[in-house]
Amino acid sequence: MGRRTLPLLALVCSVSLAVAGCGGGSTGSGNSGGTIKIGTLHPLTGPYAGDGQQMENGVKLAIDDINAAGGIKALDGRKLELAGGDTQGKPDVGQSEAQRLVTEGVTALVGTYQSAVSANVAPLAERNKVPFVIDISGDDGILSHGYKYAFRMQPRNTVFGTAGAKYLQEISKAAGKPLPKVAYLHESTAFGTGVFKAFKAEAEKAGITVDPEITYDAASVSDLTTQITQVKASGAQALVVTGYYKDGVLAAKAVSTVKPPLDAVYGIANGAFDQPQFPTDAGPASAGYFDVNYHLNDKSPEATKFAQAYQAKYGQPPRTGAALAYDSVRVIAAALERSKSVDGSKLRDAIADTDLTPLTLNDGPITFDDKGENSTALPALTQVVNAKPTVVYPAEFATAKVTYPAAPGA
Amino acid sequence: MSTAEALTTRWRSVPAAPVVAIGLVFVLIAAALLKSGSGTITGQAVLTGLVNGGVYSLLAMGLTLIFGVLDIVNFAHGAFLAVALFVTYQFVSTTGANPYVALPIAIAALFALGALAQWALLNHTMGRPLESQLLLTLGLSLLVSNLLLLAFGGDPLSVAVAGDHGVNVLGAVANQTRLVAFGGALVLAAGLYLLLGRTRLGRAIRAVAASRQGAGLVGIDVRKIYVLTFGLGTACAGAAGMLIAPFTTITPTAGDQFNILAFVVVVMGGLGNVAGALISGIIVGLVEQLGGVLLTGQSPLFGVFLVFILILVARPQGLFGARS
Amino acid sequence: MTAVVAPDAGAHEGTVTRRHRSARGTLGVLAAVTAVAATMPFVLPESQQAVAIRVLIFALLATGWNLMSGYGGMFSFGNAAYFGVGAYADVVLLVGHGVSPWIGMVVGAALAALLAVGTGYVAFRYKVKGAYFALATFAIAEMLRLLATDTTWVNGTIGYHVPLLAEESWWMFQFEANAPEYFWIGLALVVVAFLAVLFYLRSKAGRYTVAIRDDEDAAAALGIAVMRYKLTTMALAAAITSVAGAFYAQYYLFVDPDIVLGQTQSIQAIVPAVVGGVGTLWGPVIGAVIVGPLSTVTASLLRTPPDALSFLAGRSGLDVVLYAVLVIVIVLVLPKGLYGTIRQFVLDRWRSR
Repeated sequence: MGRRTLPLLALVCSVSLAVAGCGGGSTGSGNSGGTIKIGTLHPLTGPYAGDGQQMENGVKLAIDDINAAGGIKALDGRKLELAGGDTQGKPDVGQSEAQRLVTEGVTALVGTYQSAVSANVAPLAERNKVPFVIDISGDDGILSHGYKYAFRMQPRNTVFGTAGAKYLQEISKAAGKPLPKVAYLHESTAFGTGVFKAFKAEAEKAGITVDPEITYDAASVSDLTTQITQVKASGAQALVVTGYYKDGVLAAKAVSTVKPPLDAVYGIANGAFDQPQFPTDAGPASAGYFDVNYHLNDKSPEATKFAQAYQAKYGQPPRTGAALAYDSVRVIAAALERSKSVDGSKLRDAIADTDLTPLTLNDGPITFDDKGENSTALPALTQVVNAKPTVVYPAEFATAKVTYPAAPGA
Repeated sequence: MSTAEALTTRWRSVPAAPVVAIGLVFVLIAAALLKSGSGTITGQAVLTGLVNGGVYSLLAMGLTLIFGVLDIVNFAHGAFLAVALFVTYQFVSTTGANPYVALPIAIAALFALGALAQWALLNHTMGRPLESQLLLTLGLSLLVSNLLLLAFGGDPLSVAVAGDHGVNVLGAVANQTRLVAFGGALVLAAGLYLLLGRTRLGRAIRAVAASRQGAGLVGIDVRKIYVLTFGLGTACAGAAGMLIAPFTTITPTAGDQFNILAFVVVVMGGLGNVAGALISGIIVGLVEQLGGVLLTGQSPLFGVFLVFILILVARPQGLFGARS
Repeated sequence: MTAVVAPDAGAHEGTVTRRHRSARGTLGVLAAVTAVAATMPFVLPESQQAVAIRVLIFALLATGWNLMSGYGGMFSFGNAAYFGVGAYADVVLLVGHGVSPWIGMVVGAALAALLAVGTGYVAFRYKVKGAYFALATFAIAEMLRLLATDTTWVNGTIGYHVPLLAEESWWMFQFEANAPEYFWIGLALVVVAFLAVLFYLRSKAGRYTVAIRDDEDAAAALGIAVMRYKLTTMALAAAITSVAGAFYAQYYLFVDPDIVLGQTQSIQAIVPAVVGGVGTLWGPVIGAVIVGPLSTVTASLLRTPPDALSFLAGRSGLDVVLYAVLVIVIVLVLPKGLYGTIRQFVLDRWRSR
């Protein structure tokens, strides 16, 4: 054998190897009988695997429940089937998984937890005319491009920021301790900055000074003591924090070390302060912490049933992400009942007409505006009460009373 | 200056560069004072920088040993750190004991893991080009963190030390656990320094670092020394992991964020220079904290990388090595 | 520090005629491979098209990296910098100013080459080498990422969406989702990159580059302008890498600092080259064909774990574990990469005959 033919041989070998490997994916048809595939895109590996797994479980539970109740009745009781995709927390992987799922014939997509991944998947869904229901991803920008096939369940970042300012102003005023000045600590990407700007605009309308603004890099931060010392030195009466889980815990620990004289530590879209394990990880100092976030509607019997079913099946309490994923599937299933078709554009129109009461806090049944935003998604205000984040505001959803002022750790 | 000499750099050879570096830190402190207008904030940044820097030093000491002696750019160091975090977590959650009891266990477990990795994998690639080892350690890192994910899941875990509280140091505060980690870094550095300088094993390691062939000729089992060195380096990650466990959110990818900073510290300190790694770690910690006060809205890492490139260009032998 | 695999391109080969014959052979094989590859959009199931595109991007990335690090001996761990410059040049010009992506691609390549020359000049001037050079390139890529993150005029962390067009356009480089044009354009870019490397290595500059890699002091002693050829090599490699970035942006339609300037891209430039064979012409391409589908294959194999592993149900990470094991095994078992090892084996057999 000469050396000239060698590359060809090697290439042919590797191509055939690769093709043989790829052959695994069966191409199911979404349009004729059989099951209706729901594609999921969640980070099942990588740094966000914990939440990704919860959301995937939420989808599974929803599919099981809908199938147990007889499938999609308008389509002769056809059953739903999960077609899972793992984004690994990476936008390009998310997009190629989405591509794979779309061509395997999924009827709709649910995902993705990270804004950058959703931003990558949304145009793909649009171009393939496959409805894409975003369970979690807060960045406003995702739906600002006029996409017709993307819908979002959670309140977007600016809604959080605005509601956060409003709630804070209301509860501090009601307690007779209005706030002249708050400090804001946030992670430095679009997420933290977006929430901060919306908060600041609303707070200043209410006469609250927002100063100082302190940012940090969530990916590399390992201590926030200096930042909290800056807060202490500023003389602000409350500290608002926007960030992820790890840095939220760091902030809480730094607050308990530095002991700034604050009336409240107040998260907005904070990845830690409303999580069930937060009081364990941050210790007793976490008592009284607020967070403005999406949350299960603890007063709704359906939500309680969901939480029990989830606990029974997966051995841990569900986070709100699981509920949002669960509701996303319900939205799709309900739309299928109305569209009586798995055709992408008909299904899209049906989803746009959604009218469904969610498991999460709401201002009424889910309805999507012309951008695809869930216009009734309502941020809840939680507070750590007896080592458990509990909804305390708005009053009609509250299962405990607001404690304000709530000096951290007191 | 060879790695072997660097392993036991004496203070007599300390040149002007460290003085410049320490001068730079003082300039940063002055600038931070001016910018924030508050002694408390600057004092806090200095203390936090020192204490955080101690953690970087802890990790970098192990890495500098591996880099200096074996010439391996080990990207699995952060993943090994995560293993130590989980060893500590597992120990505390099964026995309910004080986490610090897990220190010898974490060190022993990680020594074994590192020695195994070198013996089973990396020993087969010694002398191979840089990319082979780089890819191998990257693969190893991926393997380790995903095995942790399989075993423990991706949810954040924590280890609490009962009665941890803030300690007041000249008006600034730091958590007791962080101060202990800082002290641990100092003790570890001293231990490594003595081990390399005063023991047979240390001499053998230095001999291998100086010349593989030469060491072989005088009857040193070079491959065994490789295994022991990698084990030792990884054991440092073990100690670091246990010491930072009380104030770290434990996830399978928790170690990744330290990987790069540790390399910066290693290069700053000079290859294989344990004392250099200790001091450089602290300088990096200070630059990061003071930079954060100075440049609001900018990632402090930018400054750290800038300093790193300047050092590579101006003093590739590290701040604490003499020019060859 | 660098691979000592003999280059394909006749750097070590004696006579002109021999070199020409070898070039014709390589071109023939390239033509055949391209012809076969061009049918892929019709052959592959539609669900694998995204994987095929990933293979092309990997091939471009690895070809660029291989030129610089395999042939040039300048080990880069920061090719994300060039990739990101390519992607950002494309989206900034397109989204901000409506400039055609083709022009953006050329501008990006020029900027990336400029960046490479600047970095290289400083690094070589101060003799930053080996692992230090690798860490320096890494630091530069990270600094660019942090800079993009904190710079509002490139949209910071929000990044850029490439706007969707009402209809397909060659000039604006946009087609229907999954259109075969994407694959063909990507394939053409890979072929052009391959030819660029092939002819570069056959030119005087290329031969000097390899000579400098093998023994820099000797090359300098012979009067070769070491700095100039190193910088030329880096510039070409950076330009190829930046084209991969522009192609990425046009296919994925979304760019942000973490995606295009993050560590992942630097790693993705190295893995296929090492798996295929560093310092060989075909290595990066073959490596890309293997590595591109690898994670998809492991994921699909383990999406529903076999019964023996049912205790792992509901846990994630197994597919990445398998992927990592495969990468480790390939590096251990095939020290010169797949193509390098096979070629070595065949050459040995051939010679001993």
